[in-house]
Amino acid sequence: MQSIAEEAALRCEGITKAFQGVHAVNGAAFEVPRDKITALIGPNGAGKTTVVNILSGSMTCDSGREFLGEAEVTNWPSHRIARMGLMRTFQLSRELGGLTVLENLLVAPARQPGESLLNVFFRPRLVKRQEREDVERALSVLDTYGLYQLRDNRASELSGGQKKLLEISRAVMASPKILLLDEPMAGVNPALVERICGYIMDLKRDGVTVLMIEHNLNVVETICDHVIVLAEGRTLATGRLSELRENVEVVRAYLGEVIDASSAS
Amino acid sequence: MSYYVFTLVFFLFDYFILAMGLNIQYGETGILNFAYIGFVAIGSYVTGALSLPNSVGTGQHYILGLSLPFPVNLLLGGLASMLFAVVVALIALRRLRTDYLAMVLISLSLVLYDICNNYVPLFNGADGLYNVPEPFAGVLHLTTNSFIPFFAVLTGVIALAMWFVMSRITRSPLGRTFRAVRDDSVVAAALGKDVFRLQLRSMLIGSFYAGIGGGLIIQFSGSFNPTAWLPGETFVVFAVLIVGGVGNNVGMLVGALLVETLLIHLPAFLPAIPGHPGLIEYLDAVVIGVVLIAMLWFRPQGAVPERLRKAVSFGVRDDAVGDRPLVVGAATPVVAPSAVATAGLRIEEQE
Repeated sequence: MQSIAEEAALRCEGITKAFQGVHAVNGAAFEVPRDKITALIGPNGAGKTTVVNILSGSMTCDSGREFLGEAEVTNWPSHRIARMGLMRTFQLSRELGGLTVLENLLVAPARQPGESLLNVFFRPRLVKRQEREDVERALSVLDTYGLYQLRDNRASELSGGQKKLLEISRAVMASPKILLLDEPMAGVNPALVERICGYIMDLKRDGVTVLMIEHNLNVVETICDHVIVLAEGRTLATGRLSELRENVEVVRAYLGEVIDASSAS
Repeated sequence: MSYYVFTLVFFLFDYFILAMGLNIQYGETGILNFAYIGFVAIGSYVTGALSLPNSVGTGQHYILGLSLPFPVNLLLGGLASMLFAVVVALIALRRLRTDYLAMVLISLSLVLYDICNNYVPLFNGADGLYNVPEPFAGVLHLTTNSFIPFFAVLTGVIALAMWFVMSRITRSPLGRTFRAVRDDSVVAAALGKDVFRLQLRSMLIGSFYAGIGGGLIIQFSGSFNPTAWLPGETFVVFAVLIVGGVGNNVGMLVGALLVETLLIHLPAFLPAIPGHPGLIEYLDAVVIGVVLIAMLWFRPQGAVPERLRKAVSFGVRDDAVGDRPLVVGAATPVVAPSAVATAGLRIEEQE
């Protein structure tokens, strides 16, 4: 049987990060199992977004180590981590506002021949061929995510929910191996929550490892295989949500006591 | 009369080139390059100094002095400007963004200005370079009067060629990635784009345009000194950009026509107001300021706004839309939502 370490797509050890003396992350350590959906939960201020920022390279850590599979990627810049197959979305949607919805997706594929000046002028056929393939794929992704009709809209004109979908579809367009989703359901209407859950399960089926920060425990319980609880910058517990409900520390720090209606009255 | 007209034509096309260079840096990539006029100056000085003979006996002090023919000197002027871009990028671009970058760039421009103005052995200090040979004047037997129309037209041809090249760049996937960096460099990096290298590439392209634009100025006028590139001149190019339309190469031509030709150079040919010599020149700056404020107030996108690149430009037919979902929410995701429903997901309103 393989050990958890061998199966982990993403692993971090003793991650710390302080902002002017305030420890946002204080020794977080966990493993994200490959091809599974993992939830990162915890109270506000637990350091979840900071951890995602560090794991994706948007921020450096003060100490600790990060591994993608077997490769150590501690404090690598964002673009190098992304090229290893780790993509992310943001808590507040960050669309490329001046570009169309279609262009937002077309930016995503890695190592495009058309991003080289030499190819633009001396190998235009190669650029055109790749561009055609990318456009076809982008339209197909937009179709899947229900954004096809909005393909020519300026991304800044989309609604909040549409921007969430755009972020996920843009990350999908980059063919990620690992996807970090920072509160994908925040501010999203219930019907769309259901759809986003579906998309995430599709991604898992397609072999993408997902780590998502999520506060909606129904979502966590339904689609997540594994849960990591973060509190005060530390990993408090890991396991299935049903197991964690029995953990006194987790209940106290995040889940809260179940209020018995009869005793309350 | 033709002297006036062709001088205006020259400045129209020269500032078209300069504005395209600044546009790729600021309009396409979001680099607030307040040192732009420094890149123009380097192109101008190097182009001039390369076409001049050895400085001994000329009454001027300068480096280079290789008597190189046009356009070799011009191309090397452009390359010198790119070299300066590498230095600037290593100092400023790697670690700084937006307004901090702008402050460092304007400081570098001031340092460069003081060096060129005070260190005489470099480019003849405050006197600058003069008696720069007129390109092709000997070969084509051009007089001073015939040189001006010739060079104005030549500048127009060069500008159109450079516009063609710039259009290829901005419409390519590279141009799209530049705009992604402009819109949100954090997102671009999260998508695997090396933001520093992309910004450096944009700086190099823009600097080449600045160098060529500067080189053409010294070839046209035969001289160039520090009064021609006071640090504030950068903002004239920015005015061309803003009035014309940031992010649109055609807008740069319109901006050059409105700001550089009509507001700056045309009034210089108007007769002076009796009793107030030089007043028109001073009013220039006021008028440009008012036009800039008016544009930012009423039409911030500029005279010719940036165009969205729609699907049809990628060869996607509109009639392919027919059976596609119309709006978000109407789509039927492939498998999973139904799987979620059967799994008994309780949907709750988000806080």
